[in-house]
Amino acid sequence: MIQSLSGPVDTRPWWQKLVQNYTLRTFVQSLFTVWAVITFVFFLIRLMPGNPVEIYVNYLMNTENLTYQDAYNRAASQFKFDPDASVVQQYFVYLGQLLRGDMGESITSTGTKVSSQILRYLPWTVFCVGSALLISFLLGMLLGMLAAYFRNTWVDNVISFLASIVSAVPDYIWAILILIIFGVQLKWFNVGDMRGTYDPATPPGFNLPFILSALQHAILPITTYVLGSIGRWVLAMRGSTTSTLGEDYVNIARARGLKQNRIMTAYVGRNAALPLFTLLAISIGFVLGGSVIVEEAFVYKGLGSFLFWSISQRDYTSMQGVLLIITIAVVFSNMLADLLYSRLDPRVRVTGDK
Amino acid sequence: MSEVVLSVQDVSIVYRVSRGQVKASQHISFDLHKGESLALIGESGSGKTTVSLSFIDMLPSAAKITGGKVLYTRDGKTENIFEFSEARMRDFRWHDCAMVFQGAQNAFNPVLKIKEQFLDTARAHGWRDKGKVIKRTLELLRLVRLDPERTLESFPHELSGGMKQRTLLALGVLLDPQVVILDEPTTALDILTQRAIIEVLKEMQSRLGFSIIFISHDLALAAEMADRVATMYAGEMVELGSTQHIFYEPLHPYSLGLLQSVPRLSQDKDELSSIKGNPPDLIDPPSGCKFHPRCPFAQELCNQEEPVFKEHEPGHFAACHFTENVIEARANLWKKD
Amino acid sequence: MRTFWPLLWQNKVGLIGFIGLVFYLLLITVFQWMVGFDNEVKLDQINSPPGSRLVLLTRPEDKDSYTKLQDLVGHKVGILEKSGAPTFLEKSNVEGLEVETYRWRSGRGVPESLEALAAGEVDALIIFSKLVRRYVLDPSSRDYKVSLSHLTVSNPKLGPALLLGADTQGRDMFTHVINGGRILIITAIMAGLISTAIAFILGTVAALAGGIVDRILVAIANFIIVIPRFPLLIVLAAMITLNNWLLLATLIGLLAWPALMRAIRAQVLSLRERDYVEAAMALDLSRMHIIFREILPNMMGFVVINFVVAITTAMYDQIGLIFLGMAPINDYTWGVMLYFGRSRGTLFNIDSAAMLLAPVLAIAFFQVCLVLFSRALEEAFDPRLRGAA
Repeated sequence: MIQSLSGPVDTRPWWQKLVQNYTLRTFVQSLFTVWAVITFVFFLIRLMPGNPVEIYVNYLMNTENLTYQDAYNRAASQFKFDPDASVVQQYFVYLGQLLRGDMGESITSTGTKVSSQILRYLPWTVFCVGSALLISFLLGMLLGMLAAYFRNTWVDNVISFLASIVSAVPDYIWAILILIIFGVQLKWFNVGDMRGTYDPATPPGFNLPFILSALQHAILPITTYVLGSIGRWVLAMRGSTTSTLGEDYVNIARARGLKQNRIMTAYVGRNAALPLFTLLAISIGFVLGGSVIVEEAFVYKGLGSFLFWSISQRDYTSMQGVLLIITIAVVFSNMLADLLYSRLDPRVRVTGDK
Repeated sequence: MSEVVLSVQDVSIVYRVSRGQVKASQHISFDLHKGESLALIGESGSGKTTVSLSFIDMLPSAAKITGGKVLYTRDGKTENIFEFSEARMRDFRWHDCAMVFQGAQNAFNPVLKIKEQFLDTARAHGWRDKGKVIKRTLELLRLVRLDPERTLESFPHELSGGMKQRTLLALGVLLDPQVVILDEPTTALDILTQRAIIEVLKEMQSRLGFSIIFISHDLALAAEMADRVATMYAGEMVELGSTQHIFYEPLHPYSLGLLQSVPRLSQDKDELSSIKGNPPDLIDPPSGCKFHPRCPFAQELCNQEEPVFKEHEPGHFAACHFTENVIEARANLWKKD
Repeated sequence: MRTFWPLLWQNKVGLIGFIGLVFYLLLITVFQWMVGFDNEVKLDQINSPPGSRLVLLTRPEDKDSYTKLQDLVGHKVGILEKSGAPTFLEKSNVEGLEVETYRWRSGRGVPESLEALAAGEVDALIIFSKLVRRYVLDPSSRDYKVSLSHLTVSNPKLGPALLLGADTQGRDMFTHVINGGRILIITAIMAGLISTAIAFILGTVAALAGGIVDRILVAIANFIIVIPRFPLLIVLAAMITLNNWLLLATLIGLLAWPALMRAIRAQVLSLRERDYVEAAMALDLSRMHIIFREILPNMMGFVVINFVVAITTAMYDQIGLIFLGMAPINDYTWGVMLYFGRSRGTLFNIDSAAMLLAPVLAIAFFQVCLVLFSRALEEAFDPRLRGAA
């Protein structure tokens, strides 16, 4: 009596396979989210009570003594919209421009493309936030596993307590503390030298002095992001490892005489890490959001401080562009995390609907 | 009888809890012969699983082995399991003694293919030849009546409960162990699957020649599976004999009680009786014979003196002061049938 | 809740959090009322270190005769205008003092008054200890005058000490720290209430209604969750004039609910499978009855824990906004102290550490207490977690 297997045989027609393909579906969902964000931000900027176009028109009228019509046309050219079109028409034109990678011109520095500004600042933030997320994710998982292994001993108590404290304190508070204690009081580094993204004396290029200089300037923001996000990973990993350690398959793996290393990595680690991927989305958004203040505190010229600069200058086109880029970055890193998760957990791959 | 593979001698294990020591198993002794099936039966908490876990050093950290030894013989060489080094114990697990736990539903790592998990097991014991391992795996999967190629490429969640249990059995004998411990291997499965698993097990045993320790509280399954049966009560072995001995000629009132609690086709419903009272507190067990508070044949002696576990007829051991009363009672029981 | 107190007592870490929160509660009620808010700008106290205070300065020969204000009745006392001394004199209310006031005039007033004391024009000078240190005792100071070094402090503890020193405007930091938490904490609680309430209502509705309503609500939550909250918040803050704390709390609350809403929806979905809820539905009891009688009591623990967590989020958001100068700074709060620390460069002044550390620690400790307390609550409500740290 050979039992028939239902699982691995795939009898779905090709179109159903395509629709249910996990990777494709995730990608389409992400595109949809990005479109929704573009729409949301567009109408937010156009329809808010303090409508930036009106504010800017008033500003031009007051400062340059233009008539309303002139000022309005000038605003239209800078915001990249046709002054005679309705908001909905403007919206479609804007979508078309975005598809071509055109985000309009900066209002305050006339003639500068928002997209080129963003390209200038984005890499630094991606570098800092990306490496910080990676460090805190890996280190947090390690410490969380350690705490779970030694649960209810002093090792666990110390790690959990510190993780609670670290996760409670906002990242910008860490930034201020680092500056005050290590920079100003203990003078471990010169606060002034650490400003900016690299030393102006070393021209950008793929060479050692430049890379070292970039690392030196990034170390404070990275430390801050790691401190601000690691506690959550530790606590989440501790909880998930604790429950994984109680699973039958871990016990049976021991009974099977597997080596401790193999059990730790492929059996406990991999399964315990799975739930953490769902937290990645929130964490990426959180750290990127925090970068506005942290970069401002360290005078690190990344996307966060550019966003703050454009807000304080009331440069709405830049503001719109940065908010968009930040959100798109979160959406797509989320998608990557999702796909990675589906590679690691075969259970979500088949239907993705569970 | 054939050679002894596992000789359990006077093993005692306690669990340390805040209230004191739980005497989970006391002075357990038995021999397991090559190719035989020995069933351990008894209520939950009677120490069946605890004893078996001690063979592969998988007791919870609160447990402590307070005495005894377990002699394991392979290829004429005899060693005490309790004196194994950590490395030797790791190799002993599964290679010499595989334990198939209850609830196979969650026995496999959900993120690895069945194939990986077979290879993992083989690799951990130095079987480097991948092709040979796969070949043997396919053979074993066929033996447990699964579609071998497909099962091999499946993830655990793609298999049904019964399929997982069979796969686990196949995995259990992958390394050609001498001893396979089956801890309630069929609980949580439906009755048809249970039957199929038992058939598969018997066939595998006859083909591969390993010995089985079968832990169950399902007497019917035990009767079907086992060559010999041991009854355990309150951490002690109270009776040991052939299946015929235990199920038709029990000498211990507890074995008799267990039999009476199993419904028979020919029996009226109201004759079905459970054993009165509750299992004893293992931190502060009763004096004398631990079963005496629940025993219908108990006398003053039972309260004072612990009965010796001795051989009453060839191959039939029991620990009871008044076996003759049990013989009388069981005669009455069969008469009614 | 019956078992809550003994559990909290066992959980030492949670107890620390709880005691801390009680302390903060006292801070924004009793302590605040006791200490009062001193917002007076005193030019002599700008950037003064912790422990500074007013002292009495005399010529050496009068060292023992003039130690209290009462000793000076009938004599001439010098004070500086726009400093802490006039207010102090007013408050101490000693009759019969002859008071000579020196004009501050870009700092020249200090040496002038000192010279007047040395020359015998006044008999004693009420002056701030930092100035004494700088002008009279510290030869390395550029304001040091050798001729004045013989003047003596006859009473080093004339006025009350500034426990945390004064900020860049010469305002008493201690009273600011004590008073700077109330608005923040109230705003955070309000924002937490708003976001928890939205999350609870939408989560429950989504789970119970199911179908298209559920799909739409979940889609909205999933959408808001991917927009990084803080950047969106500052963009919104740039367009809406955040001139009162209620508006700020509402804005924060409106953006913070999605994660909790999803969690609550999942909880309600699993609760719905339970027998008593199924029974209530079978009996056709009203939705309201099911939500508030059957579901809420069973989720109370979860909701309370997440309310506490929501407070920490709201604290993060609003202090971040204030720190960047995007939220109301007319109320003097810990956030505003940080804002001044950044905008006025005190962050990089080695002497002003206390000015920034005080609000930083006040904020950090409050957040830590909330988190520790929420973890203790989690353990109290979820027996499976007990025994863990």
